Amino acid sequence: MPGLEGALGLAGIDIAIIIIYMVGVFVLGTFFGKYVRNAGDFFIAGKALPFWAIGMSIVVSDIGAMDFVGVAGSAYTHGIAVANFDWIGSMPAMVFAAFVFVPYFWRSGVFTIPEFLGRRYNAAVQVIHGTIWAVFLFTMLSLMLWVTADKLMYVVLGWNRQFTIWLMALITGVYTFSGGLSAVVMVDVVQMIIMFVGGLSLLMLSLWQIGGWGALREQLTAAGHADHLNILLPHNTDLPYPWTGIVFGLGIVLAIAYMSGNQVIVQRTLGARSEWHAKGGMLFGGFLKSFIPLMVAIPGLSALVLIPGLKDGDTAVPEMIRLLLPPGLRGLMFVALFAALISSVDSTLNSTTTIWTTDILGRFKQLVTGVAFGERHVLILGRVFTVLFIILAALVAPVVGQTESVYVFIQTALSLFQGPTLAILLLGVCWRRATRWGGLAGLVLGVGFTFILNFTEGLFPSEDPFLFVAWWSFVFSLIVTVVVSLCTPPEPDEKIRGLVWGQVVSDGVVQRILTERVSS
Amino acid sequence: MTEAITRIFFPILNPIFSPINDFLVHLDAAAPVAKRLVTLGLFLGTMLWVYVGLRKQYVNLDAPSNRFWADLRLWTVISMLPHIFVYLYF
Repeated sequence: MPGLEGALGLAGIDIAIIIIYMVGVFVLGTFFGKYVRNAGDFFIAGKALPFWAIGMSIVVSDIGAMDFVGVAGSAYTHGIAVANFDWIGSMPAMVFAAFVFVPYFWRSGVFTIPEFLGRRYNAAVQVIHGTIWAVFLFTMLSLMLWVTADKLMYVVLGWNRQFTIWLMALITGVYTFSGGLSAVVMVDVVQMIIMFVGGLSLLMLSLWQIGGWGALREQLTAAGHADHLNILLPHNTDLPYPWTGIVFGLGIVLAIAYMSGNQVIVQRTLGARSEWHAKGGMLFGGFLKSFIPLMVAIPGLSALVLIPGLKDGDTAVPEMIRLLLPPGLRGLMFVALFAALISSVDSTLNSTTTIWTTDILGRFKQLVTGVAFGERHVLILGRVFTVLFIILAALVAPVVGQTESVYVFIQTALSLFQGPTLAILLLGVCWRRATRWGGLAGLVLGVGFTFILNFTEGLFPSEDPFLFVAWWSFVFSLIVTVVVSLCTPPEPDEKIRGLVWGQVVSDGVVQRILTERVSS
Repeated sequence: MTEAITRIFFPILNPIFSPINDFLVHLDAAAPVAKRLVTLGLFLGTMLWVYVGLRKQYVNLDAPSNRFWADLRLWTVISMLPHIFVYLYF
């Protein structure tokens, strides 16, 4: 562990803050282990979460250290347009999720989105969707560990990368193993407060150093970076964020797919103590997310004025921390970044475990033996997978982490299957005529079409057209699902009862059945 | 792989996407305000949908209180206002 206090001049108070934080998170997380008695407690916190905890947990689960590093880096390189991901790429989708998907999932009493798709379509759709998400979440897990070790801890503290990866794996693994979703959410609440204090400190110090927002605007314009202040870029821009892609690909497809179909996000609302708390948690989370670009993108823009000429935009935030923050505050900011990472790692770990237990191994056992896992076995499996995945993620983190721009890489990976997933999810919820074959064809052919779009060069003006790919793959899957559904026999009423939104919302009999299903 | 896929699919897909791209480029040039209007429309449309399109009982089911602060329609509007300001400003 070379040079903990070395080149950066970390003071004793910084080290003390870091150690207190790590111990505190560990103790708080493991404390909730005593409340876990069954699989429901472990995976959906015994349905006891209040809206404020859900909202805060959603924000920190979604915003990791890689956002601080990657978004600030993209703001440094491309400008404020990257903030679209936390503005138009969040709020409308979170409102939609709050009033369409969340109450729907909450009432149907499922643990995971693939589980719903399995009930609505068939086992193949459940396993395919579950496997895609499980692989994606696992990759994210490894990537988060690597980014923090490489771009944050190594740059800021000089820590050995392998040491950092295993330290984080140990801290998050132990309390996620012990306390499940309750521990994850309650630790997230504390981490969000720390993250906001640290992030707002960096924002204020950045602007103070430059002379305020007006001075930042003037200096960016004077330096020839006026385009960095355009949030809506033209359709034919070379950059990856044209306004058409932002509104349609991001605002309508990727954001809704992410907020409604991402297990990490939805799992928190499934643990709500009531439907109002589930919806309110989503809205509160959206409101808090409004502030994220201020804490990440503006410091990225400020770095363009204060530290021009950085070769790698992703080093903007670590360099700003070194440049601006005094001892004590530097430790706090470091803890904020660490908190952002830990909260994303614990949430992703818990959700990956849930999907593997419920949708892959659980479904496989049911298909082979005809009998589902018992309550005790599900809890044991959940804990075994927690240990297994964090160890595997730590092992493969250096391999997965070798990518040029972290944020764009993740968005590109997401866009490969987000469009098709949203199409079948939306039709499955809203259209009773959607059939199992329609859903399967929409998902499989949709992912295939996405792959073709993604690797056919010259179709779109942008060099990295992941937003357009998301939009057109969504439209394609929507059409395929509708056409195939209309060509195949409708699903029996008994099968889809309680699984179509109109019934869930307004049919009293269905609501009674769902209530009984949840309480049993 | 990229070359092979491009060789096979570009001639099939380009006639579909090329006119769409051309239209959007012309739209940008002819009406620069269009992108702002469409973006704001997404926010305003979502707010209107919640306030007018959904029943109050559905939105606030299980609410802990009947007071105004527990009305999630109000939460929606308050949560979205900062975003509208942002897209008007930038």
